[in-house]
Amino acid sequence: MTQSHDDDEMLAAELALGLLEGDERDRVQRRAATDPGFAGLVRGWETRLSTMADLPPVTAPFSVKAALMADLFPETVKPPIWKRLGVWQALTGGAVAVALVLVLTLTPLRGPNTTGPLYTAEITSDIGDFRVVAVVDKSRQEVILTRTLGGAPEGRILQVWAHGPDEPAQSVGLWPAGESIRLPLPPDIAAVRGTLTLGVSEEPPGGSLTGSPSGRVFGTVDIANVIGAG
Amino acid sequence: MTEAKEGDRADNTPPPQDRVEGLIARVSLGERAALAELYDLTSAKLYAVSLRVLRERQSAEDAMHDTCVKIWKNAGRYRVTGHSPMTWLITIARNTAIDRLRARRSHAHVGDYEDTLAAPGQTPEQATIAASDARRIVACLDTLPEDRRAAITGAYLDGQSYAELAEAAKVPLNTMRTWLRRGLIALRECMDR
Repeated sequence: MTQSHDDDEMLAAELALGLLEGDERDRVQRRAATDPGFAGLVRGWETRLSTMADLPPVTAPFSVKAALMADLFPETVKPPIWKRLGVWQALTGGAVAVALVLVLTLTPLRGPNTTGPLYTAEITSDIGDFRVVAVVDKSRQEVILTRTLGGAPEGRILQVWAHGPDEPAQSVGLWPAGESIRLPLPPDIAAVRGTLTLGVSEEPPGGSLTGSPSGRVFGTVDIANVIGAG
Repeated sequence: MTEAKEGDRADNTPPPQDRVEGLIARVSLGERAALAELYDLTSAKLYAVSLRVLRERQSAEDAMHDTCVKIWKNAGRYRVTGHSPMTWLITIARNTAIDRLRARRSHAHVGDYEDTLAAPGQTPEQATIAASDARRIVACLDTLPEDRRAAITGAYLDGQSYAELAEAAKVPLNTMRTWLRRGLIALRECMDR
């Protein structure tokens, strides 16, 4: 076993234990989100360590379940942003993407010299043939996307889109090839506060000619509570 | 004693893996009834984790709430993580409880702890371990020198930082880092054997 493999193992274990702090934690977390091999090491440690928390069950008070249900499912549920917008809906032919967002880290617990938060989200096609994990890094104002399933058809490329609440989608950049891509956020997108919507479509080489998605939109995801630039 | 009361040990049979997995899949599609069913099936295991980490009922209940919200929102990520279903759920419960514990530590005055109730029967010494995997990690932890074992459980179940672990063991931080790394390597070798 090589030295660097051992180092990776220990970094993965330290991440799973929660022992990393500050910039180092951000860096390693980012790596876990973008490097499948490293993510596997983290998963291995999470699995080993989780058996320490495999304890005899204790019945929780019913009030916990009641409060949970009331909190998650209040009577009035607003339609998702893309439905209100109609933009993506028209382009996806009514396809509903399974959209899931995980906020990895938020700033409040850290000191004044912090980096921005990191949001991870997954863009999944409704028929399950396409998946992309997206990491929005507000400290660098960039988005890192990694394909975990599917891709552009032969002779086509991927294009990444984004918009803020009630705004039209604009291009973040082209994704001509490769498993992963890192794209700087355009200033308008970096400035979005609140819900940031990301989407991926397939387009002719060179990108959409219309300025809006013209090919199939694989899916979109809403990332809630995004903080704006600067 | 026939009636299940709050805080009682519940039935110790582990929730069936395929059923939990099916429920997570339905939760990822936004099915509310599936979340309620998943809660009924797994909440006692997850509440046990919250109680063990936070050692205080109100915090454990709050952490449980946060854990379930995360499960609801992130169920679609379950497959991507490649975990077994209970590992995934327990890891979320543990991480959520640790976050809450650390937030409490960074804000609380020492006196605030005095009124809190200790969680019933949830110290590692008293806990009987549930699954064979859990017995295995305990057996493997037992093969480690005491200081290394304490460092690993202190980090995982009590959310201690390197600095806190070093202070508790009265050793320099780099020594603690070395102990912990050696402990983890030995633990991995023992568990993967």
